[in-house]
Formats: sequence, structure tokens, C-alpha cells
Amino acid sequence: MTLRAAGRALRPAGRAVALAVAVTAVVFTATELLPGDAEELRTTGRASQEEAAAERDRLGLDRPAAARYLDWLYGLARGDLGHSLAGGRPVAALFAERLPATTALVAVALAGTVLLTAAALAVTYLRGGRGGSAATGLAAVPQPVHAAVLGAVLAGLLGWLPPVSLLPSGGSPLSDPRLLVLPALTLALPSAAFATVLLRGALGDVLRRPHVADARLRGLPAPLVLHRHVLPFLYAPALQVTALLTGGLVAGTALAETLFGYPGTGQLLVSAVALRDVPVIQAAALLPAVVLLLGMLLADLAARRTTATGPARHPGPALPDAPRGGGR
Amino acid sequence: MSRSVAFLSLSAARARRTAPVAAAVVLLVCVPLGRYAAPHPPERTVAAPWTPPGGRHPLGTDVLGRDVLSRVLAGGTQLLTLSLLAAAVAVVCGTALGLAAGWSGGRVARGVRALGDLLLAVPALVLALVLATALPGATAVVVAAVLAGAPLTARVVGTQCAYLRDSGHVHAAVERGESTPAVLVHEVLPNLRRLVAADAGLRLVTALQIAAALAVLGLGPQPPEPDWALMLSENLPGAALNPWALLAPAVPLAGCAWAFAATAGTVAHTPREAV
Repeated sequence: MTLRAAGRALRPAGRAVALAVAVTAVVFTATELLPGDAEELRTTGRASQEEAAAERDRLGLDRPAAARYLDWLYGLARGDLGHSLAGGRPVAALFAERLPATTALVAVALAGTVLLTAAALAVTYLRGGRGGSAATGLAAVPQPVHAAVLGAVLAGLLGWLPPVSLLPSGGSPLSDPRLLVLPALTLALPSAAFATVLLRGALGDVLRRPHVADARLRGLPAPLVLHRHVLPFLYAPALQVTALLTGGLVAGTALAETLFGYPGTGQLLVSAVALRDVPVIQAAALLPAVVLLLGMLLADLAARRTTATGPARHPGPALPDAPRGGGR
Repeated sequence: MSRSVAFLSLSAARARRTAPVAAAVVLLVCVPLGRYAAPHPPERTVAAPWTPPGGRHPLGTDVLGRDVLSRVLAGGTQLLTLSLLAAAVAVVCGTALGLAAGWSGGRVARGVRALGDLLLAVPALVLALVLATALPGATAVVVAAVLAGAPLTARVVGTQCAYLRDSGHVHAAVERGESTPAVLVHEVLPNLRRLVAADAGLRLVTALQIAAALAVLGLGPQPPEPDWALMLSENLPGAALNPWALLAPAVPLAGCAWAFAATAGTVAHTPREAV
């Protein structure tokens, strides 16, 4: 019995680990497409043949791709992310420097997402489960448009904020919270719209269940109906959507940080892509995927705990696609 | 009286349904023609940088003193063409995969599903960025849109195809001795028309988002090319001086995204008899 329970808890964990390893293969393969290799990037093609050969030997580039992949994977498992091709610093140190800023940004954006989504869902609830098209539209609009409109309105027309979040080097993002506003809103707005679209369907489904109508007919006050008969059914999907969005927010930092000049890991990824700095790209690409898989795993385990009879769970990390509404 | 009210509300519902489709069609037709309506050459400096709107420049000028209106009119074609292409490839690949999975079931279906889980664990933007390291921007957009979108298409198509496989007319066709491809094309696909069309709208939205993101990050069209997404990043530093240089390209870009998403929603929800 306990063994079976342990097995039930371990299975999603095993699945998440398997997916994470598969993701490393995808990332490695994508960076392998690069014409030319690390030696050419380091020596910019000007090295003599012997120098080039020595450099290739040092970087292990003449070994087959599979062997290099396994080396990289072994390094990852030990927490060794390799060295940046531009500058030669350990990738782990580059990340350690920038992670606090990105963590602060993602945390603020996630809090904003949760608040905005809760507000939008409250409106949906008051309207009896029907949603407007505003959330669908906002979720479809590309993120740079959110950034541009927020920048034009808050920094331009109203003049409340600086349009660029230049953080003094070594400064903490929390020393001037104003710098967080534009990138965090840029991240939070589309993700809240997306969450609203996804959860609105679940909310509508719960509201149509007979026990909700029954509770209302028994004369329970609306807040109590919400608390006892509606919200418990929304925990599982809400947790899943939160996990998914956290991964999405981490990925979205690439755009928000670059546009507003906020020095975090997203900006690191974009500059590494420009420099073709493969070890940094590999690590930065893994970050959102790992956050997403870890979040999904936690959401899955938490959902098993809290709701025994919740709505049908979607298997795997691949819950959402689309604004399809709850009707069908 | 009540009949006319019913008629009115019916036509309002119909207007709500047709508006996004009409907007999408108008945008797709007009955007490529915009270049010819531009009052100034979109790539030439015609006034001081960040001139506010007024006079000969209704939307002012941008970072290099180029006319914003002209650049907006000229700047959508490449973005839309690329998004359409990427979405088309994604839908075709996804539909093919979905049909294979739904028809064969079993191991093939599980394989397609696992592949989807894997690709969906990597956010599309990150996938596109990693691919853009090695591939030209446009190719990276297409490949990323396919990798991020085809699994989702395959999922919905596969589910429906597995369901249709057990329906009478499909059984009849199989009994008649028609080949599997013939059954899929003549009996299954026509029933998936609406599903695939709605899905295509969503794939188009994703493709537009990826294309815009890569362009904003400098991995798409290169300056001085007029491009809505590129204009957003070019003109952000001047938000305080000429916010219209930022809002002007944002509006059509948002309009396209809204029109495609709403069209997809409309197609998915239109009652059968209304089409």
C-alpha cells in the first residue's frame, strides 16, 4: 500500500527527469546546428593551423557529438556548466551574478499575474462564468507590443517611469523598484490574460455543475458557495497553469530584460545568441525548461494531495493551447 | 415584434462572428499594399529625430528622423508573410502527424504524444532563440513555429481522427477497400476542416509572436528595413519624446494578432448550421 503510494509519487518525478534529459538533448542538438564551431569562434578564424588544432584538441571538438553531449550532461549533473567562449568565465558564475535580478523580476511578474488573473476571474464569476474577449485578445498580442504600449503610455505619455531600466552595476533590483515596473508588467499582462483564458473554461465548467446550483438553492451566501463549492475544484488547474506560466515568464525575460535594459539571465541569453556563445546559450535555454518541469511536478504532487475528486487532470506539461473557451 | 428583436440579436451575433474574419481578410489584403501609400520613402531621413506628430508627419519621426507613418505603412508585409508561411508549415506537419497518430493509435500515438510533451517543455521563444544562433532569422521562426505548434495541432487532430475512425462512413469506406490515404483524405479530413481551420488561426498567432520577438531582439530583418516589430525596439528609447513612434507600429501588430485569434475562436464556436 505504502509502496504503491510511493510509486505513485515517484512516477511523475521520473517522468519529469526523463523529460528534462530529453530537453537537454533537444538543446544540444539545436546548438550543434551551428556552422563552424567553438574553435573558429574563439580564434575568429585567424589562428594558424597548429594553433587551431591545439585549440580544438583542448576543447575536445574532434570527438563525436554523442561523446561531447554525454560530457556536457555529466558536467550538468555535477553543476559544471562549462566556460563561456567569450571571456572564458565559468557559466555558473555568470548565472549566479544575474540570477538574483531575474528571480526578483519573475517573482514580481508572477505576483502581478496572480493578482490580475484573480481579478479577471472574479469578474467572470460575477458575470456567471461568461468571459469577454478582452483576455483572448490580450493573450494573442505579441509580448513586444505589450512592452511598447506600456513604455509609450507609462514612460512616454504619462512620464512616470524611465523607459530603460539601467541598473547600476552591482546594484540590487530592489534598490529602485521603479525599474522593475515596466519589465514586470510586460511579463505579467500577457501571462495573466493567458491564465484567464485557460482558467475561465475551468471556472465555467465548475459553475455549471449541479452541486453549485444546489448550494445556491439552499441559500448559501455567494462567498461561501465560492469558497466551499467552486474554488476547491480550481486548485489543480490553477496550480498547473501557475507552473506553466512560471516557465513562460522565465522564458519571457529574454524579451522584457533586453527591451528595457534589465541585467538578468534573459538578457544574458540574448547577448549569448548574438555572440554564438554556445555554453551560455545551452545553460540559459535549459533554465526555463527546468523551471517549467519542476513547477509541473510540484503542481502535480500538490494537486494529488489537495483534490481527490478534482476535475480531470491533463497529463504532462502540455496542458494548454488555446483560447478555446470552456464550452466544447 | 419579438421576431424582429430575435432577428436583431441574431444579426448582432453574426456581426460579432464575422468582424474578426473581415478584419483578418482586410489586414491580409491591405498590409502588402501599404508600401505604395507611404507619403515618404520609409528608409530616408526627412526631419529631425523624434519630431512629435504634426504637419507633414502625422505620426512624427523616429530615432533617425524617418517618417513614422510611412514606415508603419511599409512595415508589415515581411512579418505577415513569414508568419503565414510558418503557420502553414506547422499546420501541415501537425495535421499529418495527428492523422498518423489518430489512425494508427497505439505505439505511434504514444510516440507523437511523447514528442509533443518534450517539445512543449521548451518555451517557443527560447527554442527560437537557440535556433537563431545557427539558422537565419526567418528559418529559425519557421522551425520554431513548427516545433512549438505542430505537436498541439497533432494532438487535437489525432484525438478527433481516432474518434472518426470508428464512425460509419469511415468503416464503409474501409470495407469498400479504399486505401488508407484515400480514406484519410476523402472521409476523415473533410470532417476535420473546421478544427484545422481554427487551429491554423492559433498557429498563426504563435508564429506572429515568435517572428515579432526575434525581430525585436535584432535577429530578424536588419535596419534600415521598415518592420513593425523592429520599430518597437528602435523607438523604445524615445518613448518620452515621441510615444507615437512606438504606438503606431504596435497598433497594427496587435490588430493582426487579435484578428487571427478571434477568427480562430469564431471558427471553432460557430454553430454548424450557420456556415
